[in-house]
Amino acid sequence: MVFSSLYFLYLFLAVVFVAYYVCRTLPQKNVVLIIASLVFYAWGEPVWVVMLVFSALLNWLCALGIGKYREKTLGKVFVGAAIGIDLLLLIIFKYSGFIVENINALLHIGIPVPQIVMPIGISFFTFQAISYIMDCYWETVEPQKKFHKFLLYLSLFPQLVAGPIVRYSVIENEIDNRKITALDISEGAMRAIIGVSKKVIIANNLYAVVDQFFGSDISNLSFLGTWYTVILYSLYVYFDFSGYSDIAIGLGRMFGFHFNENFNYPFICKSISEFWQRWHISLSSFFRDYLFYMPIFGRPRKYLNLFLVWFCTGMWHGASWNFIIWGLYFGVFIFIETLIGKKRMKKWNIVLTHIYSKIIIIIGFGIFYFTDFGQLGHFFLNISGISMLTNGNAFGDILIWNSLLNNIWLIIFAIAVSMPIVPKLKHFFFEWGNNTVYAVGKVGATVICCALLIISSILLVDNTNNPFLYFRF
Amino acid sequence: MEDNEKKPQQKQAVRGKHVKKDFNHMKRKNVEHGFAVISLMVMIPVFFGISLFLFVFPRSTVSNIEKRKLATFPEFSFEDYFSGKFTADIATYYDDTVPFRDDFKTAGYNFKGLFGIHTEEEVKVVGKPIAVVNKDKDESSKPSEASKPEQQTSANAADPGKPQESETASEAASQTESSSGEVQTFDGEYTVENGIIVVKEEGHYRALELFGGGTGNAYVNALNNINKDLGGKVQVYSMIAPLASEYYTPTSYSEYTASQKECFDSIASRLDDGIISVDIDTPLGQHVTEDIYLRTDHHWTPLGAYYAAQTFASAAKVDFKDLSTYKKEEIPDFVGTMYAFTGDANIKNDPEVFTYYKPDNVDSTRAYYYDTAFNYEGDGNFFNGVGDPSSAYLVFMGGDEQIVKVKTNVKNGKRLMIVKDSYGNAIPGYLFGAYEEIYVADMRYFQPNLIDFVQQNKVNDLLFAMVVYSAVGGNADNLETLRTQNKGQTIVDAAP
Repeated sequence: MVFSSLYFLYLFLAVVFVAYYVCRTLPQKNVVLIIASLVFYAWGEPVWVVMLVFSALLNWLCALGIGKYREKTLGKVFVGAAIGIDLLLLIIFKYSGFIVENINALLHIGIPVPQIVMPIGISFFTFQAISYIMDCYWETVEPQKKFHKFLLYLSLFPQLVAGPIVRYSVIENEIDNRKITALDISEGAMRAIIGVSKKVIIANNLYAVVDQFFGSDISNLSFLGTWYTVILYSLYVYFDFSGYSDIAIGLGRMFGFHFNENFNYPFICKSISEFWQRWHISLSSFFRDYLFYMPIFGRPRKYLNLFLVWFCTGMWHGASWNFIIWGLYFGVFIFIETLIGKKRMKKWNIVLTHIYSKIIIIIGFGIFYFTDFGQLGHFFLNISGISMLTNGNAFGDILIWNSLLNNIWLIIFAIAVSMPIVPKLKHFFFEWGNNTVYAVGKVGATVICCALLIISSILLVDNTNNPFLYFRF
Repeated sequence: MEDNEKKPQQKQAVRGKHVKKDFNHMKRKNVEHGFAVISLMVMIPVFFGISLFLFVFPRSTVSNIEKRKLATFPEFSFEDYFSGKFTADIATYYDDTVPFRDDFKTAGYNFKGLFGIHTEEEVKVVGKPIAVVNKDKDESSKPSEASKPEQQTSANAADPGKPQESETASEAASQTESSSGEVQTFDGEYTVENGIIVVKEEGHYRALELFGGGTGNAYVNALNNINKDLGGKVQVYSMIAPLASEYYTPTSYSEYTASQKECFDSIASRLDDGIISVDIDTPLGQHVTEDIYLRTDHHWTPLGAYYAAQTFASAAKVDFKDLSTYKKEEIPDFVGTMYAFTGDANIKNDPEVFTYYKPDNVDSTRAYYYDTAFNYEGDGNFFNGVGDPSSAYLVFMGGDEQIVKVKTNVKNGKRLMIVKDSYGNAIPGYLFGAYEEIYVADMRYFQPNLIDFVQQNKVNDLLFAMVVYSAVGGNADNLETLRTQNKGQTIVDAAP
């Protein structure tokens, strides 16, 4: 089930919302959420919902074991078993085809490539389970005694299939003690509507442009055309994914949960390190906490771990070499920035740091887009201008100009809202101003959100199938 | 007393002042809570209002914009359930059959029209045009191979630029409805494979499919084989219609559309000597100032077909009547398929008049309709009424699928068979005065063996009439199938 669909919004969510608020007690509400989450997952994965429950059961039992035998060897066995099985499932479902293909290519053999369909959201709920196991082992959280409460955490449908990766500690207390206020529901609804709008109004229409130029052979695409399209693709990924996160956070809040932010206006960064502190925060913080600081190479070795983290970050995004290159590409720049040092970089001209970081990020999204290495090669030749010399590609062309004119307001709007304008407005209306200003802001926000919901719903009529990019992870 | 009387008023005034003052000094939490409640009192009715609207109102079953039947509620099977297809199809059904779907779709297109700047010489590009001029042209540059009915009417075909394509919608979408259903479906040969440009000329919008080029090898081979099989006893004609982009593409976009004339010449040069190639590119080019192509549709106008038929009649040396002898009929407010292909609200807002011409002997002709296997279904008129203006092209025989035999009042013993795509639908009416019988069969649906059919029905002239995308695209593969399929069967004409 896709968030940005009329079916989800106006049938599934409407029913769940009513059922949730008809129930008076928290345990009843939790039961509603568990059932809703399993139905939500089973709707897309009628078979693999069993694996989700199995994964929950396994990690729940192991965590209980860890709690009981923490100081003993058996505790470590439980940690190893849980993480080992979690990773094994992830490897089987997500990477087995990729691994076999590469073994075949390397050894020139013909092992049949397994055709396994990856259960949606496996990367997300597996990482949540791993974080829970490690947190239990480190005594950051207490193992949950009740299975259904742990199942609720792992399967909670707002964040189940495309994140953010919610730590157990974030909602541990709210599973049993959450007070849902009108403000929570109102703010959550607004946040979710903004997320839907980001996806439906901005991301989908940006992708239409991207697909026009990147959707087929790009060997003859002009220099400006390549830059134009990859810039729009970067914006598309941001609005698509952050839109999903907004919906997840918003829905969570409507049900009384407060998830952590997953994006913090990444395009205002001045370095690659800062970009990753603002982009997919739940993933980068996962790798920071559970991999980067781990003594994997005998003792914490900063640089080896750094490249391991970025290898895994790339790999997490997909079973394809371009994702691994994409991860390591960022790893290299973060390594260089680490060598230079934050203090020195802060002294750099702010315009230059913005230009530097944006160029690296935008080219990075080109690597992210092209899973086909031939097309990726053309991308580099085009974006560097080399194909103008070697292949006679044009500097610009009429299609780009035409596309820009036909989408100029959309693009300007997308760039504007990728900057922290909304937080500034929120600060003005809801924090800085007096009650009158607050009232004006709140009424205005309500009207805007209703308008966005109606516009998005109308646009959704034209999108019979409309999945989010991060569903494939 | 006065003092006593004043006191309550003073108190009230003081209280009023406090109330006024209180709003700005109320505890912020109370204000937040209060406005959160107000906000919810607005948002919840909007949300549940939409929910109820979608749930309660009658669901759409057909999209006139997209020219397709909408998804139906899936039948349950364990196989479908465990594969996830059943649940996915339910979601597709719900999303696809929104009440007043076409109206909302139009509203969506209008909203998207706000994304850009609109100039007098504006051109909107849809799809993925590839520069084709001065590049090597081969089969790889030709348009989509999609041609069979089940591939023709998908939601995606009408929705360029989607993030992901919907398999389920394609499966759910159905094919041509009969003339009574008034659903004019897309033809498989017309895709947005090399893109569409929407140009504004003299105050009107015109959508142009760009031509990606192609060799037409399958077309040439099939026609040569058919000609050989017929052993010279039947005169074979090849008449390929150009797309409107041949004549109306702005110079600045000319590199994105290949020369169709060159393509036709190349095909003609490779056809056997016995086959007569009817060049209609040149005569149509002499009438570009007239309305020979529909601006909002992927077809030519009946007037364009008239000039093509005139050229054919000249090549076939048969009688041909001047346009002045025809009865002119008009269907106003026609908006064709290009609206759905481009999603451009300008097309929707700039309808045209669909003009067609009935020959003077139309009342003395009878059209006999057969299914695709040539089982007789009934007789009627060649020209049909259409309810919805957007289905105006269905005026000819009610659509593509059926095999049609027209008996005219001409008694010259001449029989013509037209193997065509939908471009060919507009041709037969102009030849009612030239042939005693005219058979019309669509290359995509015709099931009998073509050679047997031609021979057993004593056809004299066999005309292949189709648009260039059919000749160089996947539809051409059907021609060889027509020649080889169901060989040796007796063709039984059950018509009275």
